[in-house]
Amino acid sequence: MIDWNLAVRIFSFGLGAVFFSLAIVIAAIYAFGKIFKSIEKKAD
Amino acid sequence: MLDMVLTTGVMHLTVGNLIMWLIAFLFIYLAITKNYEPLLLVPIGFGILVVNLPLTFLMQEGQGLLWKFYHYGLEWEVIPPLIFLGLGAMTDFGPMIANPKTLILGAGAQFGVYIAFFGALILGFQIPEACSIGIIGGADGPTTIYTTVHLAPHLLGATAVAAYSYMSLVPIIQPPIMRLLTTDKERKIKMRQLRPVSKKEKILFPLVTVVVICLIVPASAPLMAMFMLGNLFKECGVVKRLADTAANELMNIVTILLGISVGATMSAEAFLKPQVIFIFIMGLVAFAFSTAAGILLAKFMNLFFKEKINPLIGSAGVSAVPMAARVSQKMGAKYDPKNFLLMHAMGPNVAGVIGTVVAAGVFIALAG
Repeated sequence: MIDWNLAVRIFSFGLGAVFFSLAIVIAAIYAFGKIFKSIEKKAD
Repeated sequence: MLDMVLTTGVMHLTVGNLIMWLIAFLFIYLAITKNYEPLLLVPIGFGILVVNLPLTFLMQEGQGLLWKFYHYGLEWEVIPPLIFLGLGAMTDFGPMIANPKTLILGAGAQFGVYIAFFGALILGFQIPEACSIGIIGGADGPTTIYTTVHLAPHLLGATAVAAYSYMSLVPIIQPPIMRLLTTDKERKIKMRQLRPVSKKEKILFPLVTVVVICLIVPASAPLMAMFMLGNLFKECGVVKRLADTAANELMNIVTILLGISVGATMSAEAFLKPQVIFIFIMGLVAFAFSTAAGILLAKFMNLFFKEKINPLIGSAGVSAVPMAARVSQKMGAKYDPKNFLLMHAMGPNVAGVIGTVVAAGVFIALAG
């Protein structure tokens, strides 16, 4: 007997985790990019 | 005399053994003549051949040589993370850092994983088995092996071979789907040249990513940590020897052990079952849907972004680095020879690897 509740939980949490974690990585890349740019500007 | 004859393997050969020999010869033939994933298909094919020689007991628990490779390499989860260390040392995240939006395409291409997961459940597989089958859609061999060893080790041969077979067939599977889902105009979209990425950004990327991903999905840590460590070796520039070893000698050694261990799981009794055919069908379904989802997500993103994305790079979200990116490039150049999509496609391509590892981590955490 398949536990469909668990299957749906795996699907929703799995896909959510994929998008959420990659979205945070994207945000981090943008944030660090801006920080580096402002540091370089100050150095100039 | 009769006793001596009975001690030879010839007297114990079964029809199943002979069928597996044919499969082994087919793999070795495809690897040598068609160049289909030769680094893996040669050792896998050889492993299949020798494990189906009667009375050799190569996979006898506790004693057989190949069982030791399998047990200490795969069951102890040593080989797949070491492969990821090598992959990290060979991966350039620059194109992805230059255009972080493409990370979303790598996430989108994981849809196929879940479609195959549900498909496998409908076909009667249990949840852990369905997870191992679904992850084939991520088109990432070591992740498929890692997940299957955790959740459904009896399916290892079938899922690993399906994953590597479809990875080598990317140039055949993807183009019809790409043509079907894109218009002529979309295929000709030119993307802006990527900005140069500084060394600081490249060094920071593996550090930030390993923290973020492992905090959200701790079960993905073994693969993600080694992947990012390998990349840090490459980018930091002060441990060139380690980066070279991880990307070359170590990678080659673990590839041999991985290939022969996977092949050794494919004895006639374990492999010649109807469910293996279902695994191959669901693997193909997963691959096709992952390709389609990446393309459709790129088209969806174009509704919101000023700078248009060529949807052909969406298909590269299925990992299979760098073959899927090369397919995007080839397809784009076919419709506009001046359109260079390779570097743009590398973004979703490496993001797909990260996405698949996260999906695998969730599978292991919830179904293990």
